[in-house]
Formats: sequence, structure tokens, C-alpha cells
Amino acid sequence: MKGLTIDYAVVLPALLPVVGLVVVLVADLVDPRLRRFPYAVAGLAALGSALATGPGLALGGGSTRQTFCLTGRAAARGSLPAVEGLPQVCLWQADALGSTLQLAAALSALLCIALAWPGTRRTRPVGSTREPVEAVLLLAALAGTVVVAASRDVGTWLVALELATLPVIALVALSGRRSAVAGATQLLVTSLVSFALLVLGVALWFTATGSPFLTPDAALSTGGAFAAGPAAGATAVVSPSVSAGLVALATVLVVAGVGFKLSLVPFHAWTPTAYAGSSVAVATFLATVSKVAALAALLVVLRAVSALGTPALLAIAILAALSMTLGNVMALRQADVVRLLAWSTVAQAGWVVLPLVSISALGVTASATYLLTYVVATLVAFAVVAVTLRDEPGRGRQLTAYDGLWRRNPWRAGALALALTSLAGLPPGVIGLVGKITALRPVVAEGWVWLAVIAAVNAVIGVAVYLRWLRGVITVPEGRAAPRQPAAEALAAARRRPALVAGLVLASAVLVVVSVQPDLLLRLLG
Amino acid sequence: MLLLPLLGAIACIAIPGESKVERGIAHGVALVTAVLAVVVVADRQQVDAPWIRSLGVRWHFGVDGISAALVLLTAVLTVAVVAHALSGPIPRGGTGSTFLGCILLVEAGALATFTARDAVLFFIAFEVVLVPMWVLVRRFGDEHVPDETRADAAGRFVLFTALGSTLMLVGILLLVHHQGTSDLTVLAARHGAGLSRSLQVTIAALLLLGLGIKVPLWPLHTWLPSAHTIAPTAGSVLLAAVLLKMGTYGIVRLAVGTVPRGVAELSPVLALLGVVGILWGGLACLVERDLKRLIAYSSVAHMGFVALAIASGSETGLQAALFGNIAHGVVSALLFFVVGDLKEQWGSADLRVARAALRDKAPRFGFALVVGLAAALGLPGLVSFWGEFLALYAAWSPAPDRPVALLRACVVLGAVGLALAAGYSLRVARIVWAGEGSEAATGAAAEPVLDTRGVRYAVVMALVVVAVTLGIVPHLLLGLSDAATTGLLTGLGAGR
Repeated sequence: MKGLTIDYAVVLPALLPVVGLVVVLVADLVDPRLRRFPYAVAGLAALGSALATGPGLALGGGSTRQTFCLTGRAAARGSLPAVEGLPQVCLWQADALGSTLQLAAALSALLCIALAWPGTRRTRPVGSTREPVEAVLLLAALAGTVVVAASRDVGTWLVALELATLPVIALVALSGRRSAVAGATQLLVTSLVSFALLVLGVALWFTATGSPFLTPDAALSTGGAFAAGPAAGATAVVSPSVSAGLVALATVLVVAGVGFKLSLVPFHAWTPTAYAGSSVAVATFLATVSKVAALAALLVVLRAVSALGTPALLAIAILAALSMTLGNVMALRQADVVRLLAWSTVAQAGWVVLPLVSISALGVTASATYLLTYVVATLVAFAVVAVTLRDEPGRGRQLTAYDGLWRRNPWRAGALALALTSLAGLPPGVIGLVGKITALRPVVAEGWVWLAVIAAVNAVIGVAVYLRWLRGVITVPEGRAAPRQPAAEALAAARRRPALVAGLVLASAVLVVVSVQPDLLLRLLG
Repeated sequence: MLLLPLLGAIACIAIPGESKVERGIAHGVALVTAVLAVVVVADRQQVDAPWIRSLGVRWHFGVDGISAALVLLTAVLTVAVVAHALSGPIPRGGTGSTFLGCILLVEAGALATFTARDAVLFFIAFEVVLVPMWVLVRRFGDEHVPDETRADAAGRFVLFTALGSTLMLVGILLLVHHQGTSDLTVLAARHGAGLSRSLQVTIAALLLLGLGIKVPLWPLHTWLPSAHTIAPTAGSVLLAAVLLKMGTYGIVRLAVGTVPRGVAELSPVLALLGVVGILWGGLACLVERDLKRLIAYSSVAHMGFVALAIASGSETGLQAALFGNIAHGVVSALLFFVVGDLKEQWGSADLRVARAALRDKAPRFGFALVVGLAAALGLPGLVSFWGEFLALYAAWSPAPDRPVALLRACVVLGAVGLALAAGYSLRVARIVWAGEGSEAATGAAAEPVLDTRGVRYAVVMALVVVAVTLGIVPHLLLGLSDAATTGLLTGLGAGR
């Protein structure tokens, strides 16, 4: 514990959700009848967390990676013996990339909170503890996500990743419908399996590198120690080749474990069930914040490995190709928009890991960029679904409920169209197009032309998927051309759910801005 | 110039319902854009501003000899299309504002494509036209066919083109990665220096495949006839006159300029596909019953000539390709305007239905149709003649590194294709214009169509005048692109 400093300002993004969580719990203890207070606190905490990532973004603007050293994050650290010969290691490293992912997680969480905002008309039995519990779970998962993006040692990494996952399972189970329990169970089982894989992978990492840190230095210490090993007479237990193999195996296991959370094929089975079972807000959370957490976790490991100059992984390429293909083909057949978005998540996850076939800084940045574009577009799509659901509680999930939306509500239809074209990677959703360009660039640069061609074919199937939805939006249904909603009524409807609409407007505005000026998004990542 | 149609389009889409305002906006925007286009072409102005720094992409637009004619064609045709669309009923299926907005969006995308001086920007602009065109076909398509047919045509169009452009993107990225810049001027100046042969062939194959879908080259053309048939008149005209040009322009600009050796290696394939396209299109036209489909197939044949010209690899070839582009743009626009109007009145464009002869009952229609058909069969004195003649000439005496025998065989086959063109053009003229079998017409089909007049007549006549003028004095156009192609090819020589 000695000699380690804590810079609280840096940990603020993670601390604020935790503080908010405590406040919600205390408030619930004092006055359990407050219904909106938990959400207000949660929203503020998420907003604060987002703001707190600001310095990290500003610092990381350049190519130099700003690191911060502090302790006390993991109490268990004291029990670990200090590793000799290692340079000073920071357990919390928030560079531009990490900060951006934290920011994305916090903002997405904010929007999810807006979507989950309780309506005034909905009556709940007195004494219901649903709201505070939901808020607490959301905040806990957010805290886990923020921590995992910055963690650099295996203990924190594992705990934070699980902290980001487990509350979501409870959220799914809590969303009340019977199918939710099935989804939650499936999610729980896959999470446990993935946790087992992750622990195994991390254990192998520790064996191979002898270091509990997920840093390039630690990875290099394998190669370095063993290269110099025989000459220096270091106590090498294993031969160099075995050790390199162990690192590779550890990486593959970690990729598989995280693959569950990213819902990569063949670890995707839980996705549609869980999405369809849970409420829209929770599904949004699953589709955005959880994905950020998973990718952040993956990037922490891969960036460490990248220092080794490991050859590109065929496994990732195959996973990416399979995910894209299966996700898109299945999405083509869905009639339920939430399921469609679930399968689209599977496909987009393939796109997200696609650039990682080149384990390099370029690939990592490209992957994060694509994730961000996906998150923004998905947020807008889910927000539109949520608004429509409030309008038409029974049918809002059906694809047909969106027929003629352009006529009935041009603004909402416009937002949806922008989101869908972004996901499909067509203008006017320029950001999606830029994301695709960014994602394909490292793939092509490394000479994976076959993979790039598969990706191109999948881009086309993806276009078919999203245009299928969009087609209904812009066409006027024959026979039952609904009259335009009078403006006053629309306004009144908007007043009934200000949080929801505000969230939609916010997300759409972000989408429009980054579509016009994609550089804003890309430069965040340095 | 680019911003204006974009803003106009946004304004049009945002205005709900039918109103006079959006008509004014559309008219004004199209006209001002055309004037600006002339100014820009005359001045050779450039815009250059950083856009996506981390990708090295810049807003870099500029006009040179290769693109000048296409820019003018696009801008002027949009005026014609808007004027034509506003003088008649807006196709059912949506509001007029959406319709006009989509037209202007297509114009913006096409102008951006033709002026883009950055490979990635070119790709983005290339994609811009997709969604509005899809909306035009899907929503405003022919109301006489069932909804599924429209969905099929629109979906096929968008999926084929999206596949093409994504493949092109892979090619562009490969090129940009290995050359380290996406600036087309720099890329063209390097002429593939520093790229290995196999790499050049890979890039060229990806680019040609991707752009070939758009052109469309022979086996990849299947999206074209259905899209043309279903699309409203404005959509057909834009599709034929502007969108197809983006494909050939892309081949000249992206592929020939940057990876000359790769294109040279693949030129036999390109030539063969071009010739197959010529013959296939001609044969299909001979038996096709739907007039609109027939013209669509004749587009396939004409674009085959352009592909053949590009494959020859000589300066004359490139000139011929660019000239053929413009010629086809003018002629197909003319034909689609006429046929679209006829179809609007007839309800279908089936050639088997006996109808009153145009020559007697609607002489203005008849005249325009005959000029269009004559141009399509490559009659000297009309604009297409020079494109096709030059294409065949260029392919007969190709650049030194091309397979002469093969190209000459292609020329012979292409000449046969010209004969086919004469065959189908005369068939159409015989049936529609001269009214062969019109005695058998009964009922509504025997009613003569109302002759074209007013704005629509002016639009059609303007195109006729352009077709004749360029046919008599082709140097107007050839002079425009002369310096630029020479530049492209001298660079080509230096690169080798």
C-alpha cells in the first residue's frame, strides 16, 4: 500500500455511479414512496460520470498515452507479491480510447435511464421497490463498465467485467414478463460459462507472463524474459515456445469469454431471448452499455497482446465472419423489431471485432470507432421503439406498426431512418458509412481480402435487413392511411413523456452531428 | 453548387404535403444549380477543406475535363426532369415534396461524385444517391404493377448497387493503404507506381467488379431492366442518364487513372464483357415486348460500347468512352421522357397491344421518338454515332500493350451489335411510329394519345436539339475533355 497515490479526480467517472447508488439506497430507506427520485439520481450520476471523463478525453487527444497511477482500487492487491523488475505499473490507465468508451457508456446509460423513466399514469402497487432497485442495478453495471475500460490488472478486470454483467441479468429478470425469466436464465448460464472461460484465460495469462497486469510490459516480459532467459539464467519454468503458446491460448479463451458478452456467433444464443423478454430500456442497456463493457474488456487484453506482435488471429476472423452472416440472415426473418435489433446486434458485433484481426493500434481504434457508431445508432433506434411502444402498447414491437410512420410522425420517422441507414452504412447515415470504412481499413491493410469481401457481402445483406424496416416507414399502407396526428395532440403526447422524448432528441442530435462531422467522433479516440 | 441541391432537398422533404412552395423551391434550386454548374465548369473552381482528419479525407471537389461534361449533363438534366415532373401529375405513392426532394438528392450525390477529388469522398458521394433512388423506385414506381414487383425492383437495385459499391470500397481501401493517400490527383499522378503487378490486378479487379455492377456490365446487369421499367419517368431518366455514368466515370477516374497495369491486364475481360453486353442487349431488344424494358436493354448495349472503348486503353478510347457517356445520357433521357409520357397515357408499354400510330395522331411524340431511335441506332449526324464510331475505331487500333486480335474480334462483334441496334430501333419505329397493325386496335387502345405540349414538349425538343448539335459538331465536347485525357494518358505512359 505504501508509495501508491490515488488521484480521486481520475477515478471520478467510476466513483460517481457508486455514490449515486448509495444515495438511491439511502433515499429508499428513508422514504420508499419516492418514485422518480431514484431515476433522477441515477441520471445525474451518469451525467456526472460522463462529464468526469472530460479531462481524460482532453489529455488523450494527442498520440501520447496519459496514464495515472493510483492504488486502493483493489484491496486484494496488497496480498499479491510485488513483481520485481517491473516498472511502475498503473492499475488505472485512462487514455483517450478508454475515456471515450467510458463516456459512451455513461451517455448510453443516461439514455437508458430516460427510457426507463416511470410514466405518471402507470400505477404500481404501493410498496413496490422496483424503481430504486432498477436504478441501483443500472448504476452498478455502469460503474463496472467504467472500471473495466480503465483497469489494467487481472483482478480488477475480472471483477469489473462481472460487475458490468450480473446486474443486467437481474434487470432482465425484473422486467416483469414471463419470457423475461427465460431470458434471464439463459443470460445467467451463458454468463457463468463465459466467466469460467475468462478465469481460465486469465489464469493462463498469469502462468505465461508471471504478471497480474494486463499491460504490454507484462506481455513483453514473457518474450523478453525468455529471450534473455537462458543467458541470464533466469528461473524459467517453461520453454519460450510453450509460454508464447500459453499467451495465445489465454487470448483465445478471453476472446471466447468476451464473445459471450458481445454475442458473437457461436456464443450468441442468449441474445434474442433476452432482448425480447426484457423491457425496451433494459434491452437498450444490453445492446449498448454491455457491449461497451465487453469491447473495453477485450481491448484491454488485446492491446496488451499487441505489444508481442502476435500474428493476426484466424479465430477472430472466423468469429467475425460467422457473426455477421448469421446475424444478418436471421435478422432478415424477424417480424418483431426488438428481435430484429437483437440479431442486428449479433451482426454488428461481427463488424466490431472485424478490425481486430489486425492486432494493432489501427485495429483497436477502428473497432472502438465502429462500436461507437453502432451504439449511437442503436440508441436512437431503441428510443424510437420505446416511444412507439408508449403510443401503441400492444403493437409497438411489430414491424407493421411502423408502416406509414413518415406520414404520421415525420420527425420520429426521420430519426428512425437516420438510425437505420447508419446501421446499414448508407448515406444519409454518413457516420455508419465512415464506421464501415474505418472497420474495413485495417482488414484490408493486413491483406485479408477474403474477409473484406465477406464483409462486403454482409454489408449488402445488412442493407436488406434495415431497408426492410425502413420500407414500411416510408410507404403509405394501402387502405388504412392514418390521418396525421394533430400537432396539439402530438405535443400533448410529448409532454406526457418528456424524459423519453428528451432522450430521443439528444441521441438523434448526436447522430446528426457526427454524421455531418464524423471527425468529432473519430478524433475522440486519438 | 453542391450545397444548394442538398439544402433544397432537405427543405423539400421537410415540407409536408402538397404545396406550391416546394415546386418553386425545386425549380429554383435546379435552375440555380445549373447556372452554378456552368460557372464552375467555366472557372474550374475548386473546394478543398479538411473533413475527417483521422482518415485523411478532405472535402475536395473540383472539375476537370473528364468530369466537366458530366457535371453539365447532370445539372441540365435535373432542370429538365424537375420541369417535366412538375408539368404533369406527381406519381402516386407519396407527397410531391418527397418526390422532388429525392430528385434533388440524387442530383447532389451525382454532382458530388463527378467532382470528388478524393477516393473515399468519391465512395461516400457514390452512396448518397442510393437511398433517394430507392425511394423513387419503391414509392413512386409504376402503379400498374403489384406492390411486390415494385419492392422486388427497388430491392434488387439497391442490393446490387450496394454490393458493387462495397466491393469498390474494399478496392479503394487497398489502393489507399498501399499508396498512402486518398487524393485522386496524387493517385493519378503516380499511376500505380510502387504497386506490384498482382496487387494492381487485385485492386483493378475489385474496382471493375464493383463499378461494373453500376455500369452495368453484362452478367451484372439484371437489376437494370426491372428498375427502369418500374421507376417513374424522372427516376428512369436520372437512372439512365446520370447514375449509369457514375459507373463508367468511376472506371476512368479510379481504375484507369490509378492502377493502369491492373486495368491493362484485365482489359480483355472488360472488352469481352462489353461485347457480350452489346450483343445480349441487342438480342434482348429484338424480342422484348415492354417498351421501357427495351430501352433499358439498349442501355446495356450502349454501355457495352463504352466498356469496349475503355478496354482499348488509348487516348481515342477514353475520349470515345466519355463521349459515349454523354451521348447515351442525352439519348436515353430523350427516349425515357417520350416513352414515360406514352406509358403514362397508355397505362402500359406493351408492344403487342395494337395502338393508333403516332405518326398520324401525335406527330410531336412521333418526331421525338424517331430522333431518339435514330440516335440509338447510331445514325451519323446524331450524337451517339461519334461515341460508337470512336469506340470501335479505338478498339481496332488499341494501345500497344493490349491484345490486338481479341479487341479486333470484339470490334467485329460490336459492329454486329450495331446492326442489331438498327434492327430493334426500326422494329419499334415500325410498330409505334408507323403504326403497323394499328387497324387491329380496338377500344381504348385505338384512341390516339394526346400529343405532347407545353413544358414537356420544350424539354423533349431541347434534348433533340442537343442530340443533333453534338452530332454535327462533336468538337464542342471532344475539345472539353481533350486536354484531360491526354494528361491521364501521358501520366499513364510515364507510369510504365
